[in-house]
Amino acid sequence: MDSRIVQLYRLIQFSDATFPVGTFSFSNGLETASYERIVSDAATLEEYCRSAARQAAFSDGVTALHAHRAALAGDYDELVRADRALMLFKMNDEARLMLQRMGKKLAELSVRLFEKDGMAVRWLADINAGTTPGTYPVAQGVAFAAAGLSEDDLFSSHQYGVINMVLGAALRCVRVSHYDTQEILFRLADEIPSLYNQAKDMTFADMNCFVPEMDILASLHEKGNMRMFMS
Amino acid sequence: MDYSKVKDKIFSDAPEVDFSHAREMAPYLEEPKAMYVGAPGKRGYLDLGFELDADGKSILRQLDRRAPLIVQQELYFDEELPGMPCVYILSSGGPNVDGDRYTQNIRLKKDAMAFVSTGAATKLASMKYNYSGMVQTIELEAGAYLEFLPEPIIPHAGTRFICDTRMVVDPSATAVYSEIYMAGRKHHNGELFKFDILSVCSHGERPGGEQLFREKFIISPAEAPVREVGVMGGYDVFANVIVMTPAEKAAEVYAATEPFIDRKNSLAAGITHLPNNAGLLFKVLGMEPGPVKKVVREFVSKVRMAVKGVPLPEEFPWR
Repeated sequence: MDSRIVQLYRLIQFSDATFPVGTFSFSNGLETASYERIVSDAATLEEYCRSAARQAAFSDGVTALHAHRAALAGDYDELVRADRALMLFKMNDEARLMLQRMGKKLAELSVRLFEKDGMAVRWLADINAGTTPGTYPVAQGVAFAAAGLSEDDLFSSHQYGVINMVLGAALRCVRVSHYDTQEILFRLADEIPSLYNQAKDMTFADMNCFVPEMDILASLHEKGNMRMFMS
Repeated sequence: MDYSKVKDKIFSDAPEVDFSHAREMAPYLEEPKAMYVGAPGKRGYLDLGFELDADGKSILRQLDRRAPLIVQQELYFDEELPGMPCVYILSSGGPNVDGDRYTQNIRLKKDAMAFVSTGAATKLASMKYNYSGMVQTIELEAGAYLEFLPEPIIPHAGTRFICDTRMVVDPSATAVYSEIYMAGRKHHNGELFKFDILSVCSHGERPGGEQLFREKFIISPAEAPVREVGVMGGYDVFANVIVMTPAEKAAEVYAATEPFIDRKNSLAAGITHLPNNAGLLFKVLGMEPGPVKKVVREFVSKVRMAVKGVPLPEEFPWR
């Protein structure tokens, strides 16, 4: 067992914005929200981040937790079930594209980082063979289990990833400063424990999300020609 | 009379509807002090079976019902599709009240078509002890065509509603199912988002059991603010339209539908593909049900044009 210092080091590595899974190329609808002036300052950006974090917690977050438990238990079939359940639940093309692109990148990286981890190797082989969609939250569950990281670590990293992706995009398309984005990132941390407490007991059937305004923004992006970001 | 003390309870013979497994309904499982859950008149049931008769005309062959749900004889009032049987679902009980449970089954056999709506908006009354729940099954055989476009749902302050809709649709059939949710009785002391919970799940599959998509939303205004940017924002009405249709029809409708945000009229709409090539998902936000319904009907008209070659007729002026 690695010491806690090594675990924290790994957690920082997997959560870092420069972790090569392509986070920077997605805005989670923010590009259109900014263009439509729905998000135009720090206050509206914070609300947008909160909505994104909540909807992710009860879908991607739930899936990541199930995948992590399955990986620890060596239950490969459950991993595949988690992957399929999430794809059934993703209601737009760009969201599905994002999950699969980032998922495959992380799966490829995991095989390099955890050479001896049989599950990581089998996971990538199945993604390449097209027998499972290969979503990002499942890849996160596998990687965090292989690194000996806990469920709390995983959920924090998942939420940080979602919020930081939107904030990273915000610096390029919304009139906000680094101070604004860091304050938002700092403040939203306080809401994560409550989201975790709800998400941790959810089954696939419990996954839910209600963000109709974000759905409409995603649709405008999908059919529009704004392409600074892929979503 | 306090019905909770009744010893020999009589139960409706309609199928039981039980959502006690749903985590979000856990706070709302107390037996109502008024008429108990499952009592005749509180467990509504509808079983509608449409099929082609010997002359190839779509008819309502099977009709079974239990109060408070009512469907009468089918009518043929659609001027664009005069061969399409149209029925309205009515409720003799008025609004859905505490502890009501409904089951609605709509089946279309091969190549049949049907239009189903409700006679008026569905009101969800305030509830104190329990919740109201509905289970729907929509089954379409090859080549069938269904438009299920109920009038808006109005959740009163303190109401709780859960709905599960299962759509089993052949790859060659088309099912259109729309839901319009209002925030409350807006012009009754500005009752907006005062309800306890709306939990709505719709999932699609092929006749063999292959799962295609699953959408679930839970709106619980006290738990999670609905006015946040990205959720309802400043809008008061929300519509969700699911279209299960063959991929080539979906492509045609998708190409013909432009998402928009119309600031002047406070209306917005978006379209996307359901997972697994199951069809399309169309969402609308607005301030009043009338304009939202109009956008929904314009969209459904495109679906009908792609599948049946004709548009939706003008809505009746009294609807």
